[in-house]
Amino acid sequence: MIKSINTTARYLPQGNEVDLFHHAAASQLPVLLKGPTGCGKTRFVQYMAEQLNRPLITIACHDDLTASDLVGRHLIGAEGTYWQDGPLTRAVREGAICYLDEVVEARKDTTVVLHPLSDHRRELPIDRTGELLKAHHDFMLVISYNPGYQNLMKGLKPSTRQRFVGLSFDYPTPEREVVILCQEAGIDKQTATQLVALGNDLRRLKDQDLEEVASTRLLIYTALMICSGCSVREACRACLAEPLSDDSETLAAIDRLISCYF
Amino acid sequence: MEEFVGAIWHRLVTRQSATDFADARVDLAELQPQLAPFYRGLGGAPGKLLEAAEPRPFRAPRKLIQRIAGSHRRHAVSWQDERSLRLPPSIALFPERELNESLYLWLTAMAAVTPVIRRWFGDNQRASRHLLEARPGLGKRYREMVEAGLLLRPGPDQLQDDAWVRELAIRRALLQPGSVESLPRAPGDAWPVPFWLYPAPLHDLSVVAEDDSSEQQGEQPPAPPEQVDSARRTARRLDDSKETDGFLIFQLESLFSRVEQVELDRCQEDNLDDDLGAAEDLDIITLSRQRRAGSARVKFDLDLPAPQQDELALGEGIRLPEWDYRRQAFKEDFCLLQPMLADDAEPAPLPEALKPAARTLRNRFSCLRPERNWLRRQLQGDELDLDAWLHLMTDEQRSTEPGACYRQRRPNQRDLSCLLLADLSMSTECGINEHERVIDVIRDSVTLFAEALSGSRDRFALYGFSSIKNKQVRYHLLKNFNEPYGDAVRGRLQRIKPGFYTRMGAAVRQSAAILEQEQSSQRLLLIISDGKPNDIDHYEGRYGIEDTRRAIQQARALGIQPFCITIDDEGSDYLPYLFGDKGYALVSDIKRLPEMLPRLYLNLTGAC
Ligand SMILES: Nc1ncnc2c1ncn2[C@@H]1O[C@H](COP(=O)(O)OP(=O)(O)O)[C@@H](O)[C@H]1O
Ligand SMILES: [Mg+2]
Repeated sequence: MIKSINTTARYLPQGNEVDLFHHAAASQLPVLLKGPTGCGKTRFVQYMAEQLNRPLITIACHDDLTASDLVGRHLIGAEGTYWQDGPLTRAVREGAICYLDEVVEARKDTTVVLHPLSDHRRELPIDRTGELLKAHHDFMLVISYNPGYQNLMKGLKPSTRQRFVGLSFDYPTPEREVVILCQEAGIDKQTATQLVALGNDLRRLKDQDLEEVASTRLLIYTALMICSGCSVREACRACLAEPLSDDSETLAAIDRLISCYF
Repeated sequence: MEEFVGAIWHRLVTRQSATDFADARVDLAELQPQLAPFYRGLGGAPGKLLEAAEPRPFRAPRKLIQRIAGSHRRHAVSWQDERSLRLPPSIALFPERELNESLYLWLTAMAAVTPVIRRWFGDNQRASRHLLEARPGLGKRYREMVEAGLLLRPGPDQLQDDAWVRELAIRRALLQPGSVESLPRAPGDAWPVPFWLYPAPLHDLSVVAEDDSSEQQGEQPPAPPEQVDSARRTARRLDDSKETDGFLIFQLESLFSRVEQVELDRCQEDNLDDDLGAAEDLDIITLSRQRRAGSARVKFDLDLPAPQQDELALGEGIRLPEWDYRRQAFKEDFCLLQPMLADDAEPAPLPEALKPAARTLRNRFSCLRPERNWLRRQLQGDELDLDAWLHLMTDEQRSTEPGACYRQRRPNQRDLSCLLLADLSMSTECGINEHERVIDVIRDSVTLFAEALSGSRDRFALYGFSSIKNKQVRYHLLKNFNEPYGDAVRGRLQRIKPGFYTRMGAAVRQSAAILEQEQSSQRLLLIISDGKPNDIDHYEGRYGIEDTRRAIQQARALGIQPFCITIDDEGSDYLPYLFGDKGYALVSDIKRLPEMLPRLYLNLTGAC
């Protein structure tokens, strides 16, 4: 019923993640998606929500996110104060999929509210109102994070992560990524193939030369720019070099890699 | 007069015989920072270094003028082994700079897709073809380079019969890689092909520092010499990683007699009968390392402080693992790390010369105040805590007592521990000028760093390290986390002296273990280094790098933030691999280290 035609998410499976997600959903288990930025995690969740015909509530996590932001708070209206559910509470009540994107960005004390929801209890205690909310049958918790980030202050507590069914994502295989590029950007197959090969060259620079590498998303950006008439080299430079590094030597090297193809 | 004429003559013929376009020369050094990521991007091994190739002898027919000038006997061709990729130190083959640059890129790309050359003629063709097919952007430049390159090759006037047939095959292989099956036989060497990679030169004959890993030796039985001799065609080309396994132990004296027995690999599988005298090849056998290893053995025997003069060894030592990348496994308990304390160092005041700088630094560090945050639900404070107020309003059992509805700005406690680990290896002995050695600057830097930090509330510890193979990793306690900083520590710092080698992995592992005990939420491991990890056993080159990298990764996994400050100008070659792009800083002017170290610390810990 929520499914509308123009939001239909195209998703090309990487492996058995679709099946696994179905099983987790049927067993009312929460799911953890791991993988680098821009490899299709968000898209996957959108797709699965449509497949399961459940509403999707997405929360992008950040370090100011408090438990109240998730659960809800009292607001002041004309009649005095009143309670408003946060997005998490709404999802729990309505039976939606609640997707916490980049959950490690949230502070560790924030994620603690997820604990009673993510084990067999499936309930959400709302301290402020004294309500103990039992989760709707269709409620499902999905969190994602990028294990590549190295930051001392961030990370998922082991006690949090071990409550989830884990699915690992990576950039799609070259063959699949070519298909995705063609589908998403409408670019010709030959250029898509070259772009994907270039993307994979750049991915080898991970850690040593680049902190973040060319994601599927960036490859799609490049393809979109090319399709709108931008020259291939300029599009590559603008989408695959500049966003990834500020170091002039590294940029020069990336430029050389680009000119191996175009 | 005769001499004078001779000199002019020499200059004349050398110039005439030169085939270089000096104006268009491209040096490896200038392109290197780009080539390394380029190599990795194309799939080359990330730990590999880029170095200049030594010229090696070729016996190919030279032009008359080249013969007269005595030039073109040796060529710096490209090759690689486990340790590094060797490219010509400079390229001036073509009149356009761009093409010379392109040749560097081409060679780098070739090396990235061909880690080992087994059959020179076939492998190079295959690699070229693969590159041209997979990366169409390379084609145009390649054709330009080959077209220009063919003009520089010897023609039928210089090459007779078989040699010319062979040359024709090479030319065809360059124009259409993959199209020529085998290389026709001909005497001598073919004129070097600058677009192709060569096998590693022979340097089978190294004196290997004895490996203390007696436990490990069972795995690799010593190779019987007959076996070496029978392997005529592939005369063992042992690269770094293999030769240091400790199973070929030669004495220096036996080196030359062995050389005579070795067949030379001429890079041409079909062309073995025609022999270049083995002696000619002697100079490509890298003797320096062997010599170093040999003398090092003597040296540390003499140099090792007699027990009564040495620092106090604390305890029995700590066993630590070491990562062997070739086996992709840890050697458990392989290193013995010995914590040491200069217990007889007299307490000493801060040296006069450092006092002004120390004062400034202490002041600066004493106002280390991290960003502030709000304390909520206070009975009084700067602002109303709306959240708390709402909570109070909606609380069913609201009491009549005044609510804690304010919020108050409060500085956050900095919650940080830093362990400074200084490389005290022998190389720090070397002089910067006639008054100062590297070690002196390191000592001053550590001292000033300690002075600065003692002004802050951050917890810190100071350690130094050096090593003599795996059984003696010397780990000097200068100040631990709990000892207050004072004259006792200053006295120990004054006693810092250069040690031996740099087994960095073990020192990093121990430091990480110490930091792990710290309760602080941020834990920083700051390493001052003056060069690559190395030791006199197999711990050098890629081995040492991979082990150190492993140790760093392990530290990261413990939630420790490693950071390296190096004074090694070549640090950018390997430090990104060890510490990541943002994980190190290079201080090329060592005299600035004392001032840079505290500044870097401030940047790193997010205060300013
Ligand atoms: N398997 C896939 N099928 C279809 N599109 C994909 C796939 N993987 C990635 N994409 C494309 O890549 C883009 C970025 O993916 P996204 O899901 O936002 O990444 P993440 O959430 O992992 O950061 C998407 O908008 C989509 O266009
Ligand atoms: Mg996303």
